[in-house]
Amino acid sequence: MIAAASLTLAACGGGSDSEGGGSGGTSDAVITSFSTQPQNPLIPTNTNEVGGGNIVDLIFAGLISYKTDGSSENEVADSITSDDNKLWTVKIKSGWKFSDGTDVTANSFVDAWNYGADAANEQLSAYFFYPIAGTDDEGTIPDGGKTISGLKVVDDSTFTIELKQSESDFPSRLGYSAFFPLPASAFDDMDAFGKKPIGNGPYDFASMTDNVEAVLTPSKTYEGVRPAKNGGVTLKFYENPDTAFSDVQAGNLDVLDQVPPSALTTYKDDSSIQAFSEPGSPNSTITIPESLPGFEKGEEGNLRRQAISKAINREEITDKIFDGSRIPSTDFSSPLMPGFTEDIEGQDVLDFDAAGAKDLWAQADAIKPFEGKFVVAYNADGPGNKEWVEALTNQLKNNLGINAEPKAFPTFAELRTEVTDRTIGTAFRTGWQPDYPSIYNYIAPIFGTGAGSNDGDYSNKDLDALLQQASGAQDDTERYKLYADAQAILFKDLPAIPLWNTSISAAAADGVKNVKFNWQNKPELQDITK
Amino acid sequence: MPETTPLPGQERFLAPLDETPLQETGALDTSSPPESQWKEAWKELRRNWLFWVSGAMILLVAVVVIAPGLFTNLDPSYADLSKSLDPGSSGHIAGYDKQGYDVFARMIYGARASVLVGVLTTILIVVVGLITGAVAGFYGGWVDSVISRIADIFFAIPLLLGALVGLSVINNLFPDRGEFGGIVAVVIALGVFGWPQITRITRGQVLQVKNMEFIDAARAIGATKRSNLLRHVIPNSLPPVIVTATVSLGILIVAEATLSFLGIGLPPGVVSWGNDINAAQNQIRSGQRIGVMFWPAGALAFTALGFILLGDAVSDALNPKRRTE
Amino acid sequence: MWWYIGRRALQAIPVVLGATLLIYAMVFLQPGDPIKALFGEKPVNETIRASIAAQYNLDDPFLIQWLKYLGNALTGDFGLTYAQQPVSQVIGDAFPVTLKLAVMALIIESVLGVAAGFYAGLRKGKLFDSTMLIVSLLVIAVPIFVFGFLMQLIFGVKLGWAPITVGGDASIKNLMLPAIVLGLVSFAYILRLTRTSVVENLTADHVRTARAKGLSDRSVNSRHVLRNSMIPVVTYLGADLGTLMAGAIVTEGIFNVPGIGNLAFRAINRGEGSTVVSIVTLMVLIYVVMSLVVDLLYAWLDPRIRYA
Repeated sequence: MIAAASLTLAACGGGSDSEGGGSGGTSDAVITSFSTQPQNPLIPTNTNEVGGGNIVDLIFAGLISYKTDGSSENEVADSITSDDNKLWTVKIKSGWKFSDGTDVTANSFVDAWNYGADAANEQLSAYFFYPIAGTDDEGTIPDGGKTISGLKVVDDSTFTIELKQSESDFPSRLGYSAFFPLPASAFDDMDAFGKKPIGNGPYDFASMTDNVEAVLTPSKTYEGVRPAKNGGVTLKFYENPDTAFSDVQAGNLDVLDQVPPSALTTYKDDSSIQAFSEPGSPNSTITIPESLPGFEKGEEGNLRRQAISKAINREEITDKIFDGSRIPSTDFSSPLMPGFTEDIEGQDVLDFDAAGAKDLWAQADAIKPFEGKFVVAYNADGPGNKEWVEALTNQLKNNLGINAEPKAFPTFAELRTEVTDRTIGTAFRTGWQPDYPSIYNYIAPIFGTGAGSNDGDYSNKDLDALLQQASGAQDDTERYKLYADAQAILFKDLPAIPLWNTSISAAAADGVKNVKFNWQNKPELQDITK
Repeated sequence: MPETTPLPGQERFLAPLDETPLQETGALDTSSPPESQWKEAWKELRRNWLFWVSGAMILLVAVVVIAPGLFTNLDPSYADLSKSLDPGSSGHIAGYDKQGYDVFARMIYGARASVLVGVLTTILIVVVGLITGAVAGFYGGWVDSVISRIADIFFAIPLLLGALVGLSVINNLFPDRGEFGGIVAVVIALGVFGWPQITRITRGQVLQVKNMEFIDAARAIGATKRSNLLRHVIPNSLPPVIVTATVSLGILIVAEATLSFLGIGLPPGVVSWGNDINAAQNQIRSGQRIGVMFWPAGALAFTALGFILLGDAVSDALNPKRRTE
Repeated sequence: MWWYIGRRALQAIPVVLGATLLIYAMVFLQPGDPIKALFGEKPVNETIRASIAAQYNLDDPFLIQWLKYLGNALTGDFGLTYAQQPVSQVIGDAFPVTLKLAVMALIIESVLGVAAGFYAGLRKGKLFDSTMLIVSLLVIAVPIFVFGFLMQLIFGVKLGWAPITVGGDASIKNLMLPAIVLGLVSFAYILRLTRTSVVENLTADHVRTARAKGLSDRSVNSRHVLRNSMIPVVTYLGADLGTLMAGAIVTEGIFNVPGIGNLAFRAINRGEGSTVVSIVTLMVLIYVVMSLVVDLLYAWLDPRIRYA
């Protein structure tokens, strides 16, 4: 204890003699960045978690790519056009090559997507193909088929995509890793490919040592919009961001995109590192299933949902528990999304109002008294979950005078199993990290009737209609207006209660330059130099 | 007891009569009948000031566990987040933690769950370990093999896996198990994988003790195998077991904190030292109000000290060689 | 003695079978569907889920799962991780690192623990003894992860004396700090055990006899007291190598050591049965070997102990 106390009195002196890279300032220095051990083979359609995603995003290039601000631009695609927003024609630029020297053609995309949607190949991201005609609701090809009927190769540089229904912003999805192309050699031995993938991105996959690191070297053939400005990227695998933060302080690690909770209060004043703090895209919500007693569809349930939302002092939790690394939500998406607005009807339900909340709860009790307690379930293997759920239930206890408590599930697997099996029987924490930068992605997959991630079984015909309309809308202003209308419905029904958005809280070692973070809270590693 | 040829070097200890004073073993058997072994230990214990100090410490902890309301009138589960990490004022000597709980009230009320976890788990592992270890060491042969190999199996299972599964099974059996159910789950998880340690220590000690001169002497004057085990071998094997058990007690209370660190400790609603130490660990780096951790960790150290001192006193008193002085 | 060793080796077979069965039952009992979790918060594709589950035999009753695992293991195939890597290769990479770490911790804790415990026992009730009591109390009362973070912060970040993380280079220098942290708790046990035994043996008959015969204090202490005090310590140490390896989860996490503990932690959390079972089986074998070594050491330390 004594040692700990005196430590904090000592000035922050470390970090001045960084032994990281000898060639500071030049552009051929290798950049090291925080990552985690990939959990699946490195096939784009099978990579759905951060560790693998960090590698795949750097070694592949898709039809489009996302800029730092979340807007998109064509990368491999020369054009993606449609007359009716339903049948899309994709033209590919000539001259693109995989790192094994073979050309990137229309078949590179179509074959890769067919592979990903073939259930026999057990690809975890098959879901992303569901808008395309010839797939089922889960994105796989029905009846053991091998090809998606909605995909047609016209010639080497052209193919068409037929959708199930018109979707005007469909192209903006095509930068997600599930839509990356694969070289012909991949299909000969996909197991071997998953261990040593060959891509068309700004970096080549050089090697990977399990639980240690993945080494990526700049591609010699890449000529896209994200060229490597450094001598390579080494992704170091950590089990614990605390450890990684210490490494940044000592100059052993260049970039860490998630400062651990233990360092949040102090990292901005730490002279041994560069600190970054910006608004981010992931959000946190509490989903209250309609099957929960007292929260059923109808006036009583609605009053209780409003009461819960108003009884939460978001500002206090983001300030005291998260040290400002979260920003209270003002809608169901994120301020980073194109079309974000603070002007949505019913938004005031997110404002803290203890007296008003108590009043609403009393009105609900007048309809039917509330029995039992309000429980919020979380997975204990997610860092920081316990702290905020505990703080939140304490606020509900104090402000509503009800019995509220957290419930811990040891692992994510356990929580998700109960959630997807609908056996959970309590409110539970949910979070969303967008797959592509669009407000639509925060609403349709979660709150659309029967949608894949609609864990609370919410259903509202008006919302479904608005989403459908937005998909067909021709220009952005109209679309954004429809998103706002859709969110107004959500604010009325509150199927989930928005809490906050996760900010970018990142650290870089001294002397590392050009560090920028994108709409996914990820560093633009190809631009970083030192 | 199958006899074999003595291993090399054995003669050195057995042969010279002047090194194994028979009159002393004889004295043990005649002047003190077997029953008085415990009585004599008690007499010895009462003369030891360590016993009284440690007893007083444990008594204090016990009072806190039984009647926490005597020490504070604050509610340990009431949190005011606006007071987060507030150093405190009159009536709140230890200030507030990150959640805005009163740190002192949490320390007082946390004793119950923590001490229960420590004591119940220790009792569980000592009872199981002592019986299995004594039987294995004393009877030897296939009994020893079976017990030792089962112990090996349990030894090898990582605590984390055991705890995960133990907690899950209890979860399934008692979905709404409440505070005590949560404690029982942790006790089972820690206990199931803790007993082999005591088994091995006891077995090793029994192997040594059963070959000592006074056991041979007792057998020579007609003591049966079982009475030998109960009256002589086990009591004389106890000191290292007691020391391990009392050290374990503190370590088990801390293990609960480590389980919390790994996300599988006591349920979040339970006030315990382990939960609070874990909750405060993030403040190590930032250095904010490190004192928040001092209170539960200090209480834990105090409790551990009480039991370790008691263990020393009791093992001293049970030491057969000591009493011949 | 060779006969004895051979018999013990044969006993390892039922132990391994029992351990794998027990672990399989435990992984099976663990609630939550590991394959569903692979999909994250994205919708679960039932066809794909069933197909992956079949690949890992997850829909079989656990006895069948166990038998299939055993059958494959006999041919040297320990299954695949969810990332499609052979379990044998993943463990092969991680095992030497953890073994090195655990052996280093064992050496540090036993040398320091026995030395401090021996001296404390000789000087029972004196200043050194009391100091050691306080040291061991501190070690016991403060959780290992707190020590880990503190030492990393002090010696790694602030003073720069030791590398902060191990990563790919598991050299003795890099592993020193984690080994010390890992050995701390056992150090407290060994210190207490040695001290108690020494105190006990100081008054033992043969020690008094030796002293009466006119042997010097020094030779009595080392030849009679220390040697005879080692039985419980050796017992503890024998089991401790395995405990250290299995218990390295927290330490390996803090210092980013790519070892068995990290691997086991992830595999347990992800419900990766074949990895968990293979790791535990390896641990069981280590325990079997170490407990044999301990039993042989008993006979050397105290010749009155005989084995049939």
